[in-house]
Amino acid sequence: MLTKLAGGRLFDPANGVDGEVRDLYIRDGRILSEAPSGEVPQRTYALDGKLVMAGAIDLHTHIGGGKVNIARTMLPEDQRAHVRPRTALTRSGGGHAAPASLAAGYRYSEMGYTTCFEPAVLPINARQAHMEMADTPMLDTGGYALLGNDDLLLQLMSEGASQETINDYVAWTLRATQCIGIKVVNPGGISAFKFNARSLDVDERHPHYPLRPRDILRTLSRAIAELGVPHPLHVHASNLGVPGNYSATLATMDAAEGLPIHLTHIQFHSYGTQGDLHFSSAAAEIAEAVNRRRNVSIDVGQVMFGQTVTISGDTMHQHANHRHAHPGKWTCMDIECEAGCGVVPFRYRDKNFVNALQWAIGLELFLMVDDPWRVFLTTDHPNGAPFTSYPRLIRLLMDRGFRNEQLARIHPEAAAMSCLGSLQREYSLDEIAIMTRAGPARLLGLTDRGHLGGGARADITVYHPLADPEQTFARPMLVFKAGEVVVEEGAIVRVVRGATQVVRPEYDRAIEQRVSDWFDRYHTMSFDNFAISDDEMAEGIGSPIEVHACRPRGGV
Amino acid sequence: MSPLTLTLREAPRQRIEMSAFTPGRLAESSAEAIRRLPLWVGNRQVPTGDLFTVDEGTREDLVIRSDSDRLDGIGAGSTRGTIRVEGRAGAYLGRDLRGGSIRVSGDVGIFAGTGMTGGTLHIGGNAGDFLGAAIPGERRGLRGGRIEVYGNAGDRVGDHQRRGLILIAGDAGDYCASRMTAGTILVLGRTGAQTGFAMRRGTILLTAQPRLPPTFNHNGPHALGFLRLFADALATRDGPFSRLDARGITVDRWLGDLANGGQGEVLVWAP
Repeated sequence: MLTKLAGGRLFDPANGVDGEVRDLYIRDGRILSEAPSGEVPQRTYALDGKLVMAGAIDLHTHIGGGKVNIARTMLPEDQRAHVRPRTALTRSGGGHAAPASLAAGYRYSEMGYTTCFEPAVLPINARQAHMEMADTPMLDTGGYALLGNDDLLLQLMSEGASQETINDYVAWTLRATQCIGIKVVNPGGISAFKFNARSLDVDERHPHYPLRPRDILRTLSRAIAELGVPHPLHVHASNLGVPGNYSATLATMDAAEGLPIHLTHIQFHSYGTQGDLHFSSAAAEIAEAVNRRRNVSIDVGQVMFGQTVTISGDTMHQHANHRHAHPGKWTCMDIECEAGCGVVPFRYRDKNFVNALQWAIGLELFLMVDDPWRVFLTTDHPNGAPFTSYPRLIRLLMDRGFRNEQLARIHPEAAAMSCLGSLQREYSLDEIAIMTRAGPARLLGLTDRGHLGGGARADITVYHPLADPEQTFARPMLVFKAGEVVVEEGAIVRVVRGATQVVRPEYDRAIEQRVSDWFDRYHTMSFDNFAISDDEMAEGIGSPIEVHACRPRGGV
Repeated sequence: MSPLTLTLREAPRQRIEMSAFTPGRLAESSAEAIRRLPLWVGNRQVPTGDLFTVDEGTREDLVIRSDSDRLDGIGAGSTRGTIRVEGRAGAYLGRDLRGGSIRVSGDVGIFAGTGMTGGTLHIGGNAGDFLGAAIPGERRGLRGGRIEVYGNAGDRVGDHQRRGLILIAGDAGDYCASRMTAGTILVLGRTGAQTGFAMRRGTILLTAQPRLPPTFNHNGPHALGFLRLFADALATRDGPFSRLDARGITVDRWLGDLANGGQGEVLVWAP
């Protein structure tokens, strides 16, 4: 069937299209590079002047896996207070800070998102994470496997194993967990916590292994580059939330030694120690560093005010924050010696100095990093705020008047310590399209989405051009998923299921013997049961895989 | 002026969610609008008029006539006025009650008075489990107001209670006042196992020897002037609660739960 989207204003930064009025044609779930001659479309949507973008991509959102489930069970009041009743099409679900998997899928789709990535898949929990994401309708999903605190990697590195061995282990992990990238959370720090350390700086030695976080970062980022995995090492840096942590963040960037590195929720890592309360913004230093280093990309992890829940593998710093839990309940736990888990519910208040400054720091970062291809729009859902606050965040970026109005409401000392009021920049629609679509697709190596060129999957979002960007982005006019309309005027009209996005670097199978021995000696699961097969993804778990290409090996 | 009266036509097979009927929420509604108001019945919505006959009257005084135990959430979140139930009520009676009063002549289900911060609940019959308690996942039980039960109450009365008063003329079940942080519970009948389990502060007043966890310490007999004030304050209440002064002011005192701070007190009048 041929579908025509007539007369929309296209924002397709990947192909250099900035607001031109053009027709788009879709056939068999793909976008056609040119209008087919002599054929009459079976269906035409008259879009005169509506904004047409590729479906949005969230590259860092906690929507699946053990921690989210713990947050859901810990916060039944969050489910009770935000009920989404069943309709003829959609099933019931609930929750605001930690939405149920169904509710998360529906709401993302209603906001024009078509692909989302869970950034913290513990290898041992990968099966559960994929099952939850398979139960998140409307979206294609994918995950980043956690390494860098698992005893096997730390032991291999301590023994002085070759980079090739590490590369094989990383590639095996990607294959076994069906993931698209590798994430490291507080490199070495979660492991150090188990040896009773309460902090671990980038150049501090681990209390047990003869390693520094810097070594782990260098080794893993090198492995990613040598394997040709498109997505750079996804790094949750050391010293999360600690005043003065910006120097650790800068050290983390340098630890990659020029290789690609992605620093996630960098807002939580951009704090200085100026002022009476020894807490200040170091957004300028961080933004300048990002601007200078072409190998660094970031997502912000913007804080928005209100109730949410912080969920992180960073047991060390979640434990440090547990006294701020609101409501007063929290948990920290070890997960099978691979990594950690901390769930602390939290309410960000605009009249609280620290929270207000966190809010301002996030916006400063957005506005001071020049290249929209290297900064991505996230709230680190749900750590900074639930993803449902994205439309408001977009308005804060696009509308300086609104931003200054909000700035006037926050804690006055925080406002005084921030340079936010003096920042003139307003994001354009083209830049929003870069940071929410084209940029994430490029950074993840997804060539088939995030743009509107020929051959791309027809994941397309059409917005009303309204004066208030918050309203524009909260309620798309149409959302297409693989060429089918799934959302009309912000409401689901068709429920579809997604696929899991993975990469498959080659590796030497000899590593499996070493991993298998480790499993036999220490693990709760046998090696043979650990890896998730393609058939299991498709039939058991219910989310078939789509493999994306790696770059040629050794192209460092 | 006569009360607005809802009379249940026939016993429902599913549970009916009744929280729409409070004086505050109905203040601006005509009788016709009330008949059209959709109510959740199981997983379907049904107009009120199909389930109840609605007789016009003042919105500040609602009467619900029902012999069903499936009308849930009666008076939930109400802030003023009176709601009278002639018959029985289901679960979540007076949940999140803020003010006003609710009187039920018969038995009520589980979770009555949970999340309540003000007003009064008057239960003529028996109450189910979790009376004035924290529902699972919540950190606070009763936070204010008064609950009076003239029959018996189930398990976990006043779990996580922080303030307010619970009066029970009959017996209470197991784990009465578990995890209590503050407030007062009076039980004139017997209590079940593990009374005061994990209690931090607060007061339980009893007439029968309780079965306490081993982590309570006996303090011996005390003459407490507060009991005279307490009896005076309740002198205008109905039935057995108005005659506490006859029991005197000397009580046996236990302190606990020592596993959780141990500042809670269990006071027992001699039989």
